[in-house]
Amino acid sequence: MTDPAHPRRRHAGRLLIRALLIACLLALANPAGAAHAAARTAPAASATTPIDHFVFLMQENHTFDNYFGTRPGVDGIPPGTCMPVRRGQAEPCVKPFHLGELGSLDLDHTAEAFRVQYNNGRMDGFVEGVSTQGKDGKLAMAYYDDRDLPYYWNIADEYVLFDRFFSSSNSGSIRNHMFRVTGGPGATGASESIPANGWGDIPTIFDRLEAAGISWKFYVENYDPTITFRSRTSEEDIDRGAQVIWVPLLAYARYVDDPRLFGKIVGLDEYYDDAAKGQLPAVSFIAPAGDSEHPPGSIRAGQNLVRTLLTQLMRSPDWNSSAFLWSYDDWGGWYDHVAPPQVDRYGYGFRVPALLVSPYARRGYVDSTTLDFTSALKFIEVNWRLKPLADRDRNAKTFLDAFDFDRPPRPAVFLSTERTPPVVNRPNPVPVYTAYAVTGSLVTALVGVAALRRRRWT
Amino acid sequence: MSATRSPVEEVKHDRLATTVVLHPVKLPAPGATSRAGDGGEGRGWRRWAVPGALVAIAALALFLRVWKLNALGFNSDEAVYAGQAASLAGNPNYAPFFPVFRAHPMLFQTILSPFFRTGEVDLAGRLVVAVLGVVTVLAVHLLGARLYGRRVGLIAALLVAVMPYHVVVTRQVLLDGPMVLFATLTLYCLVRFVQGQQVLWYVATGAMLGVTMLTKETSIVLAGGVYAFLALTPMVRRPVRMSLLALTATVAVFLAHPVSQALAGRSQTGKSYLVWQLFRRPNHSMGFYLETVPPAMGLLVVAAAVGGLWWLRRHRSWRETLLLSWIAAPVVFFQLWPVKGFQYLLPAAAPVAVLAARALTQMPVPEPVRRLLRRFHHVSHGEPARTVRAVRTSVIAVVALSLLVPSLNAVNRADNSTFLAGSGGVPGGREAGRWLAANTPEGSVVLTLGPSMANIIQYYGHRRSYGLSVSPNPLRRNPSYEPLPNPDWWLRHNDLQYVVWDSFSAGRSAFFSERLMVLIRRYHGRVVHTEYVDRTDSTGARVPVPVIIIYEVRP
Repeated sequence: MTDPAHPRRRHAGRLLIRALLIACLLALANPAGAAHAAARTAPAASATTPIDHFVFLMQENHTFDNYFGTRPGVDGIPPGTCMPVRRGQAEPCVKPFHLGELGSLDLDHTAEAFRVQYNNGRMDGFVEGVSTQGKDGKLAMAYYDDRDLPYYWNIADEYVLFDRFFSSSNSGSIRNHMFRVTGGPGATGASESIPANGWGDIPTIFDRLEAAGISWKFYVENYDPTITFRSRTSEEDIDRGAQVIWVPLLAYARYVDDPRLFGKIVGLDEYYDDAAKGQLPAVSFIAPAGDSEHPPGSIRAGQNLVRTLLTQLMRSPDWNSSAFLWSYDDWGGWYDHVAPPQVDRYGYGFRVPALLVSPYARRGYVDSTTLDFTSALKFIEVNWRLKPLADRDRNAKTFLDAFDFDRPPRPAVFLSTERTPPVVNRPNPVPVYTAYAVTGSLVTALVGVAALRRRRWT
Repeated sequence: MSATRSPVEEVKHDRLATTVVLHPVKLPAPGATSRAGDGGEGRGWRRWAVPGALVAIAALALFLRVWKLNALGFNSDEAVYAGQAASLAGNPNYAPFFPVFRAHPMLFQTILSPFFRTGEVDLAGRLVVAVLGVVTVLAVHLLGARLYGRRVGLIAALLVAVMPYHVVVTRQVLLDGPMVLFATLTLYCLVRFVQGQQVLWYVATGAMLGVTMLTKETSIVLAGGVYAFLALTPMVRRPVRMSLLALTATVAVFLAHPVSQALAGRSQTGKSYLVWQLFRRPNHSMGFYLETVPPAMGLLVVAAAVGGLWWLRRHRSWRETLLLSWIAAPVVFFQLWPVKGFQYLLPAAAPVAVLAARALTQMPVPEPVRRLLRRFHHVSHGEPARTVRAVRTSVIAVVALSLLVPSLNAVNRADNSTFLAGSGGVPGGREAGRWLAANTPEGSVVLTLGPSMANIIQYYGHRRSYGLSVSPNPLRRNPSYEPLPNPDWWLRHNDLQYVVWDSFSAGRSAFFSERLMVLIRRYHGRVVHTEYVDRTDSTGARVPVPVIIIYEVRP
């Protein structure tokens, strides 16, 4: 119905109809672009929890027992543990020992190593699994403790430590990282390598986020955007080839070729800037480089990376609505005493350390829910109402119990890198007060007596 | 026994006598003279005049010491003493940052500590010092009245009440303000001993000197003043055993410090500090005191004190010897001592004020001036005393005003830019510290340019702070300060999360300022907070100037 009294309104209506027509024509000509445009302009879905920013860092190659096995109050190394040198033979055996500064090796952590160490659930092949690769199998029984990992242990005191968090795949990095972003193993069958043409159309959590208009970024330490699945021939052929494994999106043609999507894979410096400005995306994935704790790399350097990331998050305006989860992509060949449930042919793998830091995280809480990397996907899907990617994340439990949303967010605290905080020795104040009070009283009395007495001394 | 004795029974210095003897003397002092025609009504008015004047002086002194008292936050030394008091009181906000025992004895901090039991306190601490400053003014009155009569006592009290030197220092939580109170009381006890020859006053002198040393141990130099006076005044009888008794009292009182410290669990702090003081480099030039202290005391006051010694030279007595000895001891010692501090000569303020008051009350008035005034005021020849009194009152008013104006300027000034230790608070320091407390996570560690700002940040910000300029060489740093041997390493390992630059410290060390900026640039420094102070530019306009900048840094 037209309104003759408002010609401007009629004109505006015509303009709107024309604009819609043009948009429809453009959409027909370039449906992908239209979808992206819709994603860009669609209002971001609000989170179902107070967590508006979820950060997920994946470090490398340690088991729960390797890092927290001696920690009280968790499902740690059982007393009397002694791992047979040969499966099925109780003697000789190797007891868990503190590795400390002895130095470590990159232990075998392939599917075959898992098979030997797991030994159909008997869990008695950890030494042999490494020894068969020509390395000192005893090393698999080494562990670190709070002398080596004071910051992580302090984090566990203050926030949440998961003691039934399994790697998703019972093999190495490639599948585990694919589980991390797709909920599936990526390469199926026996092959674990990245296909020459990339991962093809396997959907990722970032596809879901894009479709829902939810912001995300993949931050990469020492990021080199020239290294993708096309430039990488094998892990060893070029330097930092692991970047494509740890950032699976770099093995997707559609992510590499779309400048807008490719622009969301950025260097780690942007994480610091985004956090400082309160511009963290809703979902942040972080991939390390040299600070990944991958043996024989420095675990202290890894601690320092985590601490620096958390420091920036804690002083960010986004802190009050953030959660930071970090875990380890596989077990690295180290001993862990819990037999992982085998939910399908790919896993689970052995337990890995996982910790959650958030202002809503329960203080000093040990979460024993059975979780894996797809639990992080589950959290994202629950928090932002996204559809599951695969069976694993559909069936996974998540870690909502680790939060306490009934309480207001906790203020950030920079935790020490010392396990034992320096003791503040407060001297006993009683002698001080007594000495000065007595002295003052005596002097006052002396002056008073002198003032009252007029006798001259001669 | 009271201060009223002085006008009617004055000690006369008999050079031939072996001791000081008391003679009833008629004082020329106007306050002691009675004029014809004063009836009962006049005496009643006079009875209330002195207490009334004293109350007015005390009120003025209090006003100058509390006006805008909290406009600026603590400076470094105030933060340390207040932090010690809070730690002693068990205040959990300060115990991790300020050890109870540092360099000095703890008398003043112990007095303060009940006010610092909880929360952040600064005003209450300064109020305690301000009150002690007013008590010092009253003590100066006692001293002046005891030596030269009530009028001198009142004027000396007035001079100290408005003296910028004393006003500025007694507005801060420093040891020097309380120390000067006890030093003045020590001087008073000594005067009582000389006048009365009572052994108890001699012992009280020693005990009060011990209390003075318990406030700040450097006041031991005043013992040199006592010794100099006794040496220069042989007629004051002082048997060795009595001197030993007085000395024993001094030592016994001062023992409260080491004994209480040992019983509380610490014993080495003072020793380390002494070693450092003995070997530290000079912090000011030899002309420092000449440049800073006379203007702070008041040039007219100093001139009057010196002039009085000249025009009253024929009336010279043991009193001037005593006062000059008391002035000379700290002046000579701290002039020779390589470490100099603005407030170190404050014990000289009281005797200088008394000497100046004495001079002003007996200032000669030249005959031409008298004639002029007589002509102007039509005063008859029969009232010369009134003319002289009018001239002297006018001069006293001018001198007092010459002190009051700079004191008012000092207490109203909110943009202290000198950052001279002991000269006042630090603009923006408290605000920067509070910003850090409110906006940085607990456990943040801060790198500052120097230890002074580190103390302020620790006091108001409750964040561990390290001064970049603190030397790793133990012979080159205050043992209370903790050096950061490799700040670059700390920054690289994320052990320092914030860096604070301040213009005051930068003005003292361009080298460390530049070094700090290099670290800030290297570790991705991002300005997160700035404190400004309004300054006047070349055109006379008030412009905000950044004085403290807080950076966020990361590896």
